Amino acid sequence: MERPIFKPIGTAEEALDTPALVVDFSGLNQNIETMHSFFRSRPVGLRPHVSGHGSPAIAHMQIAAGGTVGGIMTATLGQAEVFSATGFDDIFLANLVTAPSKIARLCSLARRVNMTIAADSVPNVTDLGEASVEAGVILNVVVEINTRRDSTGVAPGRPALELANAIAGEEGLHFAGLMTYEGSLRSEGEELVSESKKWIQQVLDTREKVEKSGLDVEILSVGGTHNYEIAGDMDGVTEVAAGSYALMDEGYRTYRPQFVNAARIMSCVTSMPEAGNVVTDAGRKAIGGDTGNPGIPTVPGGEVRGLSAEHGGIDIDPSIDHGLSLGDRVWFVPNSIEGCVNLHDYMHVIRNGKLDAIWELPARGRYR
Amino acid sequence: MDYYRPVPGTQVEDLETPCLLVDLDAVEHNFRVVADTYRDTECKMRQHTKNIKSPRLAKMQIEAGGTVGGVCTAKLSEAEVMVEGGVTDILIPNQVVHKDKIARMCALARRADMKVCVDNMQNVKDLSDIADAYGVKIGVLIEVDTQMGRAGVRSNEQGVAIAKLAESLPGVDFKGVMSHQSLMEYKGEEDRYEVGRQTIQICLDVKNAIEAEGISVEMVSSGETFTIDVAATIPGVTEVEGGTYALGGTTYDYMKDYRMANKVMGTVISTPRSGVAIGDVGLFALSGLGADSVEGHSDITVAEMLDHQIVLKSDGEMPLKVGDKFKLIPDYQDMMINRWDQYIGIRDGAVEQVWDIPGRGCTQ
Repeated sequence: MERPIFKPIGTAEEALDTPALVVDFSGLNQNIETMHSFFRSRPVGLRPHVSGHGSPAIAHMQIAAGGTVGGIMTATLGQAEVFSATGFDDIFLANLVTAPSKIARLCSLARRVNMTIAADSVPNVTDLGEASVEAGVILNVVVEINTRRDSTGVAPGRPALELANAIAGEEGLHFAGLMTYEGSLRSEGEELVSESKKWIQQVLDTREKVEKSGLDVEILSVGGTHNYEIAGDMDGVTEVAAGSYALMDEGYRTYRPQFVNAARIMSCVTSMPEAGNVVTDAGRKAIGGDTGNPGIPTVPGGEVRGLSAEHGGIDIDPSIDHGLSLGDRVWFVPNSIEGCVNLHDYMHVIRNGKLDAIWELPARGRYR
Repeated sequence: MDYYRPVPGTQVEDLETPCLLVDLDAVEHNFRVVADTYRDTECKMRQHTKNIKSPRLAKMQIEAGGTVGGVCTAKLSEAEVMVEGGVTDILIPNQVVHKDKIARMCALARRADMKVCVDNMQNVKDLSDIADAYGVKIGVLIEVDTQMGRAGVRSNEQGVAIAKLAESLPGVDFKGVMSHQSLMEYKGEEDRYEVGRQTIQICLDVKNAIEAEGISVEMVSSGETFTIDVAATIPGVTEVEGGTYALGGTTYDYMKDYRMANKVMGTVISTPRSGVAIGDVGLFALSGLGADSVEGHSDITVAEMLDHQIVLKSDGEMPLKVGDKFKLIPDYQDMMINRWDQYIGIRDGAVEQVWDIPGRGCTQ
């Protein structure tokens, strides 16, 4: 477990132990305001996906900011358990739960929490139905529709309708609606609009079929940080699941300029072996590197050469006087915020350059 | 933080997934191979704990033999975990430069033999000043860049100058030289041996230049899992910093004497289309995967890794059904271990012991 050295509130950011996950409180607030103000004036609600920060404190800020459906989304059952214990009572687990022991955990959660779960097969629906009857709970189940990603989910149209009917036929289950995660689209302008609409429309068409068959579709969940404004303006969408917007990352930086990079990894320069070659103490284990290199906005002329497990290498044009010395701080913007928070047990909240709070990330490692 | 401690005797197929398994027969075998390899050699193993993050596993290797009696740790916080766990001979093959951190290392040096690598004169002076104030000695080795383009001196002259400085200062004990290589692309035995020898020779050249100045060089810490066999055959190398050998990864499939001891077990949660199975374990629990990652299923390929799911594909009929368990062998092994809180130690298909991974997340 990460063991940061304790420093009192008010400590200058640069005096924190490195590498450290540091969060700029005003940037976080600004991002939340940007996103939530969009939804406050619309009938469709935002459902914050907690994988984008892992922090109950941030999730509470998100719900308090308004414009939401009043609940959160999680990616694993373990995350749902942790967030239920920190005060959330409306949780949408956007994943499949199939193992009997996990279905039992899900039903137990449903005693305390308004629990919504995805399904993509009749046998799974049967298992969920039997377990919920036995546990004496009602599970809200949405049909997961496979659109762009080719992972879990049934095909849109008739297969989705059949599964909706199967859910509605189970005594312990409540058919709640439809969802897809079209994946995080990295396109812009008209291309983003047409691509988003193409996938989301498949779910909206399915909605029509399901409603014609006499079932209510209370939830239609699509979209993400990449296309919330497009998804949020489509008739028939009831909620948009987004997570990365709160802290943002390098992967989204150029695509979503309305949000600021509020999370960084502060590192320390540990070696400067040659002109223009700077080595820091934050590598893939601290920043994450599964999806690409981080950004390095605070070093003018600097480029991330690459991350190894324990080191981050920076190349700086040798003609530029970078002014860095051994021991100086350098800030990286993680390429994927989800991947980065999965490596940390704490985030250091910074206000006006000083430590303002230390927030735990209690769901880290809850892959089950 | 995760808390999954299945009771000993639990059958592997009854475990909740995803979970990190360590095959105890396999890891014990790997530790024995090291003990045998280094029994009669001058060169010994100094296991790198960045790959295991567990003092328990480090002590198993020390008890099995073939070692210098100590370990490498990537960072100071990892060293603190090892010292708390009872391993007290520590080499940090990395730089500790911030004065707060140097002070922490000096505090640790009251209970452990602490050694660190340097490539900069000012760093040596800072180490000396703070160690002297603490009344402790910090061992210093000069890091030599042989191939990585990362930290480390670039010439014999730089190495000699730092060695002379370290010899002249209180608080620091000049110990020797260190280098780390990455020979991932040299898979052929001949290539690997040749490049291994060439790169380690660069480190030995610095040692020779320092000795020519009348300064004795006690330690040459070089080699890693890539050159685990090569380094031991090179006269002058006193220790090898092997890490991945303990638990294994697909990158090292050429190391036939060693067994794959760590695997992540997942369960199929959906078979939505023909030839496709989706598992309940993704990138977050694994980092990347190489080829032939699904144990016992060369017919299955990893088509995609999502944050919390894996998409498996087979050319013919998918042999895995919903509810079936499968085991994945890591590619970037230390990246994967750094994402887990427990090892579930298994033998003969059942849980024998569960060990915490206290070094997980210790990147400071």
